[in-house]
Amino acid sequence: MTDSVVEVSSLVKQYGNLRAVDGISFELHDGEVFAFLGPNGAGKTTTVEILECIRSLTSGSARVFGYDVTKGEDVKEIKKRIGVLPQDFSALDKLTVKENIDLIGGMYKKKLGTLEVIKLLDLEDKAKERFENLSGGLKQRVGVAAALVNDPQLVFLDEPTTGLDPKARREVWSVIDNLKRLGKTVFLTTHYMEEAQILSDRIAVINKGKIAVIGSPQDLISKYGGRKILVVRRGSKELAKILQDKYGGTMFNHGGDVVVKVDDVKEMWQVLSTLTDMKTDKEIEIQAPTIEDVFLKVVGSRITEEGELK
Amino acid sequence: MIRPLVIFLAVTKNWIRSRSGLFFSIMFPVMLLLVFGAIFGGGGGGSASTLFVQNLDINPDETPTQLSSAFVKALNSTKTFAIKDVPSDADPKIWARDNLGPLGGNIRIVMISKGFQDDLLNGTLKVRVGISYSLLNTTYQYFAPYLNETEKMAYEQGLAQMRQYNETLPDSRTSLTLAFDASDQSATVIKNIVINVANAFNYHIIGATSVIEFNEESVTGNRYGAVDYYLPGIIAAFIMTNGIIALTGNTTEFKRRGIIKRLSITPLTKFDWIIGNVLSQTLLSLMLTAIMIVVGWIVFSVQVIPDILSIIMIFLGSVMFSGLGMVLGGLVKDVEAASALGNAIAFPMMFLSGTYFPMEFMPSYLQSFSRVLPLFYFSEGLRYALIYRYTEGVLSNMAVVSALAAAFIIIGSVVTRWKEK
Repeated sequence: MTDSVVEVSSLVKQYGNLRAVDGISFELHDGEVFAFLGPNGAGKTTTVEILECIRSLTSGSARVFGYDVTKGEDVKEIKKRIGVLPQDFSALDKLTVKENIDLIGGMYKKKLGTLEVIKLLDLEDKAKERFENLSGGLKQRVGVAAALVNDPQLVFLDEPTTGLDPKARREVWSVIDNLKRLGKTVFLTTHYMEEAQILSDRIAVINKGKIAVIGSPQDLISKYGGRKILVVRRGSKELAKILQDKYGGTMFNHGGDVVVKVDDVKEMWQVLSTLTDMKTDKEIEIQAPTIEDVFLKVVGSRITEEGELK
Repeated sequence: MIRPLVIFLAVTKNWIRSRSGLFFSIMFPVMLLLVFGAIFGGGGGGSASTLFVQNLDINPDETPTQLSSAFVKALNSTKTFAIKDVPSDADPKIWARDNLGPLGGNIRIVMISKGFQDDLLNGTLKVRVGISYSLLNTTYQYFAPYLNETEKMAYEQGLAQMRQYNETLPDSRTSLTLAFDASDQSATVIKNIVINVANAFNYHIIGATSVIEFNEESVTGNRYGAVDYYLPGIIAAFIMTNGIIALTGNTTEFKRRGIIKRLSITPLTKFDWIIGNVLSQTLLSLMLTAIMIVVGWIVFSVQVIPDILSIIMIFLGSVMFSGLGMVLGGLVKDVEAASALGNAIAFPMMFLSGTYFPMEFMPSYLQSFSRVLPLFYFSEGLRYALIYRYTEGVLSNMAVVSALAAAFIIIGSVVTRWKEK
């Protein structure tokens, strides 16, 4: 017995000369939040749409709940069991929140009550509001509500926070957190590092159609994130020289800060002890590596706010 | 069957709440009906055509002669013309051009030549003597066998003197000149009216009356007005534009915004989607028809009352054009292209299917082309159903419309993409 909800093996999607998805393999486990992290054009949405049975694959295999995404009868079973928030979700403008959720719910035999879903997404106050009058964050919440109306076990959230302001983004994060608590398996695609790191149990970094690395955020950071950094704000060149001589990996940056890279907790305490002995009154900050460092390490570039590589 | 109904309810609600949707689907056709009715309905006292008349047949005291004046009055009595007198010393064409008025229009001039009255009197006398001679001669030929030789000679002598007298009378014919612009499409009608007035004037002068009585009767058996005849065409044309332009536009807009993609991820099939949209358009068509007929009743006192065949025809026509809309919506990707394609198909069809203009006016090759257009069969069928009550005509057109409706829905199901490549 396996707890795999999604099994993808050597999946390829070719558009003419462009190989959008290039032989990727991965699994999704029951109840986890799995993130596809990558820039625009990396193959995230293409992969997700193949799993949602609305895009054909070129070669390889993809199974959802054990059903083959390429077989007609299997597709019907998959569609009954998944919930989807597509990229740039939209709905009928002149219908209310409740009516739009009813519309999607009307497509399923097995479904939750619309009011139940509305309550779950904290949309009671907006239930009678027309979709066209909602803010971006609320529209995304309606999209998530529509994705949950058939009580799916697997929920695809394709770039759920793109284009949202920070407040709306955090609202959506809270919704995703709730999904996890409800025991749903969530397949999240994003180009926001922080989002992937905070929300996901496992992350696959994808670029140019290939998965670069896959694992839990902690594992990826410890493996690819590099050393922790200790920063002494408004230090001096003399202090930088002392720490460099003693521990190595120290530099004095343009902002006037002394930056020390430490290998482990033991070395960090040693640096702190040295600073205490010197009776320094400078502000000290410890920076742990993040998924952004992982991405930089494995892809060689960063991602802009708009999702492009730089 | 639940899913198409869910789609039907959702898209119908979405449309009913859209002001622009309501305007273009319902209000605009009603406004066009009002404009058409006002132009062609004959109500409201339309303005008469301007006719310039230059009367050169004047007495020495500069007043028009009695008969030329009477002819102008006869023209005026038709109530077709607003007559403007052109001074006898003016160049009529230049004067007419300068006096058309602020709204402009076409120049039509009747010129009454000098000697109109004299020529008319002389010509009339010669005609009258000729008719009397002919009548007496025929009578003589009939009674000759019963007359003696003396009586015959007296008769023949009298007839010969009459003929000689008639030959001495001048062979006068008076003439009228009608000048108009060759591009003036109403000129033929105006010319015929002027000729009819002149003929009536001729008869009156020689004391004759027409022995042929002219009665008017409607071919439908009902006293329908012009708006009754236009109504089926306007209804058919707008059901077509709602199907082709509006539905194609909506479908591509839903596609652009990812709404169709979102629905395609659910168990909804593309056939369910098409049926739901077609049902919504059909409801719209029935509402449009009902509103237009009610407006026709109230404003133009139209007589048409839809029967069950008309309602079935409207239903099938709506299904046919909604199906065509779904075909186009399935083929095109963006809203601009949908709008251009919808207009490119709808407008030629509107004008070539005999909806607004009689097909008899078209060249024969265009008439043949019209018979392959779906709107031709729908419009004809609806006219047969609403106006002529000609069941066979309705059924034959209904058969074509039904076949096309089925074909378009099937093609629509094929070309609508439910899965990306």
